[in-house]
Amino acid sequence: MNQANINCPNFSLKLETASVLVNKVIDGINRNTMKKRKLVWLELTGCSGNIISLLDGANPDFKSLAAQMVNFIYENSLMVAEGEAAMKKLFSVIGDDYILAVEGAVSTKDDGMHQIIGRWKGQPVTALRAITELGENASHVIAVGTCASDGGISAAKPNPSECVGIQKLLKKKVIKLPGCPCHPDWFMGTLAYIMLCGEPELDDRQRPLMFYSTLIHDICPRRPYFDKGIFASKLGEKTCMFKLGCRGPVTRVDCPLRKWNDGVNWPIGDDSPCIGCAMFGFPDKMEPFISYDTT
Amino acid sequence: MNNQIFKDMVEANINEINDTIDLLYLTSNSCSKNKLLNSLRKNISNIKTLLQDLQNGASINNSQPNTTKVFTLDELSKYNGKDGNPAYVAVNSIVYDVTNNAAWGGATHFGLTAGRDLTKAFSACHAGEPILSKLKVVGKMAE
Repeated sequence: MNQANINCPNFSLKLETASVLVNKVIDGINRNTMKKRKLVWLELTGCSGNIISLLDGANPDFKSLAAQMVNFIYENSLMVAEGEAAMKKLFSVIGDDYILAVEGAVSTKDDGMHQIIGRWKGQPVTALRAITELGENASHVIAVGTCASDGGISAAKPNPSECVGIQKLLKKKVIKLPGCPCHPDWFMGTLAYIMLCGEPELDDRQRPLMFYSTLIHDICPRRPYFDKGIFASKLGEKTCMFKLGCRGPVTRVDCPLRKWNDGVNWPIGDDSPCIGCAMFGFPDKMEPFISYDTT
Repeated sequence: MNNQIFKDMVEANINEINDTIDLLYLTSNSCSKNKLLNSLRKNISNIKTLLQDLQNGASINNSQPNTTKVFTLDELSKYNGKDGNPAYVAVNSIVYDVTNNAAWGGATHFGLTAGRDLTKAFSACHAGEPILSKLKVVGKMAE
């Protein structure tokens, strides 16, 4: 990104959005003007990449979330309880106030029996049952990552386990945070906003505008190359990768600004075209990820 | 899009920007401020897109498109954006050039490839959107 853009107060303010919101929540809790909310995080049919991404968060980091912001009731990769004891904790929230975060799609084939997340009272608990029971009772449901938002990789052709995004199984509105994986800031900022003010302003696909309002192409540091028609012909060249099939022009999120791994880099910064992982229809509709011999 | 429509769209965005700036002076709430800043970005992005179209010489007045060249489906298939060929697509019997259209990275768009009649796909996703008027017309499909 050129120097003029870096100094733009609009950009620097955007980078602070998640940390400002999280700090406001923590401050409110410390002053007893707000209460910690219960948070349930379900890992359904996916790769668990979103919880790994969340653990990699920085400013705000995961510790701020887990220790000072919410009562983390359930997260199967992180919690100490296991087996029936874990399932008991999970279902204990029904009837209470809680926010539900979900990563992964939901397998629907054979009544959901292709994805078992545990056993409760001797019976297998399918992802399908977990989302329908816990989703309808939650105060807010957040789809974390591309699979939960739209089926994503779990629902890619030929989709043998008949996976779907969670909105297809719930009557209530699902706030969607697509991205493979979801950036820690997108989740923590959205969660903090819900705790402070309720539902954030969403676009027509239920994505929070504070993170998903900008096309990657519009704020891409290589945009001047596109405008001048200077295109990379192979990977590794530092110019615009549009001719190689870059999906930045159709993908709406703020990666060029926020970057990943504590702001170190992002795909285009390392000479890889955007593959549109935060766009609905990924991966099937974003393929081919790389094209050669284009005009 | 003719000049008057272009002017009206820019003016509408500028009016919205002025209103948003007025509101920014009044708010101290960071949530509201972020909403207003997002609104400003949207307006700026709209204006940038309009200017880009103007600079690219995209057909501002498409009332008389170049439809002298007539394509069969077989001919159209050659213009797939590969091996030195430009990328053309047909919608409602008009053939458009998408070679340098930003949304057509690698001559593909949401799983669709250039060199085909995409009338059905277009109406399923973009019906009512003023997208086609920004594209260069290169001919029409054979009856």
